[in-house]
Amino acid sequence: MTVTTEPPAAAPPLAPPPRRSAGERARAALPIVARWAAALLGAVVVFSALIVFKGANPLEVFPDMWLSTFGRPRSVSEIVIAMAPLILAALAVVVPARAGMSNVGGEGQVIVGAIAACGVALATDGTLPGPLVLALMMVAGVAAGAAWAGVAGVLRLGFQVNEAVSTLLLNFVALDLLLFLIYQPWRESAAGQPTTPELADAAKLPLLTGSTVHIGIVLAVLATIAVFLVLRFTRWGFRLSVVGGNAEAARRAGMPVPALLLSALLVGGALAGLAGVVEYAGVEYKLRPGFGAQIGYVGFLASWLARHRPVPVLVAAFVFAGLAVAGGSLQLDAQLPAATVNILTALILMAVLGFTQRKARRA
Amino acid sequence: MTAARVAPASATAPPGDAEPLMRVAGFTKHFGEVQANTDVEFEVRAGEVHALVGENGAGKSTLLKMIYGVYHPDAGRMIVDGAEVIPGSPAEARALGIGMVFQDLRLVPALTVTENIALALEGGQLLRLDSLARRIAAASERHGLAVHPKSRVQHLSIGERQRVEILKVLMTGARLVILDEPTSVLAPQEVEALFGIVRHLRDQGFGVVIVTHKLPEVRQIADRATVLRAGRTVLSGVDPADYGDDELIEAMVGHSVPALATERSLVDVAASPVLEISDVSSRGDRGHEALKGISLVVRPGELVGVAGVAGSGQRELCEVALGLRETTRGSVKVAGILASNPRRVLAAGAASVPEDPVGDAVVARLSVLDHMAIDGRPLPKRRWGIDWHGIRRRTDHADARLGLRIAPRHRRLSDLSGGNIQRVLLTRELGLDAKLVVAAYPSRGLDVSNVRRTQQILLERRAEGAGVLMISEDLDELMAMADRIVVMHDGHIAGELAAADFERQRIGRLMIGGAA
Repeated sequence: MTVTTEPPAAAPPLAPPPRRSAGERARAALPIVARWAAALLGAVVVFSALIVFKGANPLEVFPDMWLSTFGRPRSVSEIVIAMAPLILAALAVVVPARAGMSNVGGEGQVIVGAIAACGVALATDGTLPGPLVLALMMVAGVAAGAAWAGVAGVLRLGFQVNEAVSTLLLNFVALDLLLFLIYQPWRESAAGQPTTPELADAAKLPLLTGSTVHIGIVLAVLATIAVFLVLRFTRWGFRLSVVGGNAEAARRAGMPVPALLLSALLVGGALAGLAGVVEYAGVEYKLRPGFGAQIGYVGFLASWLARHRPVPVLVAAFVFAGLAVAGGSLQLDAQLPAATVNILTALILMAVLGFTQRKARRA
Repeated sequence: MTAARVAPASATAPPGDAEPLMRVAGFTKHFGEVQANTDVEFEVRAGEVHALVGENGAGKSTLLKMIYGVYHPDAGRMIVDGAEVIPGSPAEARALGIGMVFQDLRLVPALTVTENIALALEGGQLLRLDSLARRIAAASERHGLAVHPKSRVQHLSIGERQRVEILKVLMTGARLVILDEPTSVLAPQEVEALFGIVRHLRDQGFGVVIVTHKLPEVRQIADRATVLRAGRTVLSGVDPADYGDDELIEAMVGHSVPALATERSLVDVAASPVLEISDVSSRGDRGHEALKGISLVVRPGELVGVAGVAGSGQRELCEVALGLRETTRGSVKVAGILASNPRRVLAAGAASVPEDPVGDAVVARLSVLDHMAIDGRPLPKRRWGIDWHGIRRRTDHADARLGLRIAPRHRRLSDLSGGNIQRVLLTRELGLDAKLVVAAYPSRGLDVSNVRRTQQILLERRAEGAGVLMISEDLDELMAMADRIVVMHDGHIAGELAAADFERQRIGRLMIGGAA
C-alpha cells in the first residue's frame, strides 16, 4: 500500500502568500504603467487625427497647449481656481460610491447649492456683515445639496428607484428651477442678460494673500483630507465599505443598511452643494444660464478617473481643470472650437477606464 | 512508447481485455507556482465504473479538464482506443468519444429537453426537432434513462436534469462518460436511481468515471478507484474492496482522521428554547410560498438537524430564524426575543454560518481581518475609529481556540478559495459565545480533516449550552451529530425523528414527500 502516514494534524496550514521584493513588485507594476501609457498615447493619437482633419498641425498644437497652460502664471491660477469646485463635486461621487451607489446628480446638487447661497445673499441683502453672510451661504448650500440628494435617497429606499436615474433626472429639475429664478423672481433687470444681482464684495470668498486664487482650493483640499480620513478610519466609513462591497452581508451583520445608504447620499449632496457655493461666491458671483459649466458632470468623471478614491481625486481634478484651461488656448492659437478639448477629455477618460481596469484575481 | 501522435498502439501492445478505453500516463500540469497535477496515472476500461477520489484541491478537476480538452497538459501522454492523442478542445474530446457531465448542470431552463440536446449536437440536423425527439425517446429507453423529450427543463427535478445531461453526452457519441460529483445535488433516492443508470451503462460496455469524496458511494458503485492527493496518484486503479475505510481516508488525506465523538447529552426539555418558530409561513425571493406553517423548537444544548432536498425551504427557514426574512404568518423568537429584524436577533445572541458564503458574507475588496470585524456585534470603538488591535486579538484568540487555521489576516477574502473562505466565516461565527447557532451546510468546501474539526466545534458549542440548528445535505453527518432531525419537503416539515429513530431510508422517503 502506497499510503504515507504522517502525524495527524488538525488542518494543513495555508501556504503563506509569496513575499515579494521591491524589485518583483516593480516588475509586477510595469504592465499597469504600460497600460496607462498606452491609454494616454491612444487618446493623443486619436485626438491628433482630429486636429489634422480640422487642418491644424498636432506637432504645433500640443506644445502650444502645454505652453499656454503651464507657461503662464495666469493659467496656473485659472487651473487652481477651476479645481476647487471640481474636487468637491468629485468627492460628492466618491462618498456614495463607497456605499455602492452612483450619484449622477452632482450637477443638480451644485446648482441648488448655488441657488441656496444666492437666496441667502438676496434675503440678507447687506443687512449682515459679509463673513457671516458667507458662512450662512455655506450652511444653506450644504443643506440644499444634501436635501436634493436626499430626495433620490428617499426614492431609493421607499420606492426602489435606482439612484443613478433619480439623481440624473433631478439635475434637469434643478436646472429648470435655476432658469425660473433668474428669468422671474431673482432677475436683476428686465433688460440685458437674465442674471441675479452680483454678490456683495464682503460676502465673496476671500483671495489667498498675494494671488488671484480664492480660498476655495483650501476648502476643497481640506474636504479631501476629511473624506479620506473619515472613509479610512471611522466606523461609518468602514460600514459604507461593507454596504458597498456586499449589502446583503451588511444586512446580515445587523448594519442599518438604509440609513447608511441615505447618509452616504446626503454627505455626497452636501459636498456638491458646497461646490455650488464655492463656484457662486468664488468665481461667478451671480446666477446665470449655464452657471457652473457642468461642474457636476465633470466631477463625476473625475471621480471615475480616480476610481472613487479621495486623494487621487486631486490629481483627476487637476487633469480636467488643466484640460479645460488648455481648451481656451486651442481656440485662440489653433483656431479650433474650445469644445474640441472636451473630445480629448472624453478620449482620455475612456482610454484610461478601458485599458487600466484591474483583472479580478482568485487564489 | 515513442509512437507519433495518432499511431496505432495495438501494433506493439497485445490486444485483449487489458487494453483500456482511455489511458493517461505522466500527466503534469502547473498553474503559476501551483503544481496541480504531477505525473498522474489514470485509465478507464470499457464496461467499468471507475471512481476518482480525492479532497478539494487534490487535482481531480485539473485531471478531468485535461482529459476533456479544456486544459493542455505540460507533460504526459493520453491514449484513446490505442491511439496516442491529446484533445485540444472539448469538441475534439467529444469526437474521441469522451463526454462530461459537469457538477453545475449546463442546460437552458426555458427550452425543452429536445431543444437542449439539439443545441449540443453539431451539424445541420438542428431544425428536425420531431425526428430528434423520436431519437431521444429511443435512446432514453435503450439506456434506461426516463426522460420525456418535450418537457421543459425548468419543470424537471435536479435528478431529471442530470439524466438529460447524461443522455446528451451519450447522444453526442460518448463511450467514456465522466460524471463530476453527480451525487452532491441529489436526494438519497435519486442517488439510487442514478446508480441504477450507471450500472446499466457499464453493462452496455460504456466506461464511466465518477468523481466523489464519499466512501460509501465508492463501495456501492465503483469497480475500481483512483485516489489523488496533492496532485499525485496515491492509489491507481485499485479494487476498493481490498481497502478499509481508514486506509482509503488516509490515502485521500495523508493522515488518519479521528472519529467523531457521538455521545449525546440529555437535552433539558424544560429549558426555555433558544429558537421558537411557531406556525410560520413566508415567501421566497421569487414570491412563491417557501415556508408553509412551520413549527420548530431548538433548546439550549440541543442540535437539531434539518434534512431535505435542496430548495425545500431550508434557506428561508434559516433567514426567518435570523430575522432576515419577513413572515406572512406566525412568530419567531430567539432566546425569548421576537425576531423582527437581524439586529435584534444578533443582540439576542445568534450566530450564523450562511448558506451562500460568497453571496451572503464575502464583501468585495475587504480583508480577512475586516470580515472578522463584521460579526454582528457593535464595532469596537477606539477614539474616533475602530479598535483594530482588539479585533486582531479577538481573531487570533478564536483561531487558536477553533484550530481551523484561517488565512493571513491581510488577504482579501474574495481572493481565497471556497474552503478558505468557509474557514474564516466558521471561525468568526463559531468563535462567538452564541446562544443560538444557525449553521447552513457548515462543512461546505472543506477537506476531510476540517470537516471533522468543524463538526467537533459544533458539538462543543452544543456541550457548552448553545442551541444549534444545522442544515446539511449529508445524512450521515446529520445522523451522527443531531439530537433530532426534522425533514423538510416543499416548505413543510414532513417529519421529525428522534435520535433513536434515525434511519436513512426513512429520512429519504420523507425528503421526497413520502410517508415515514
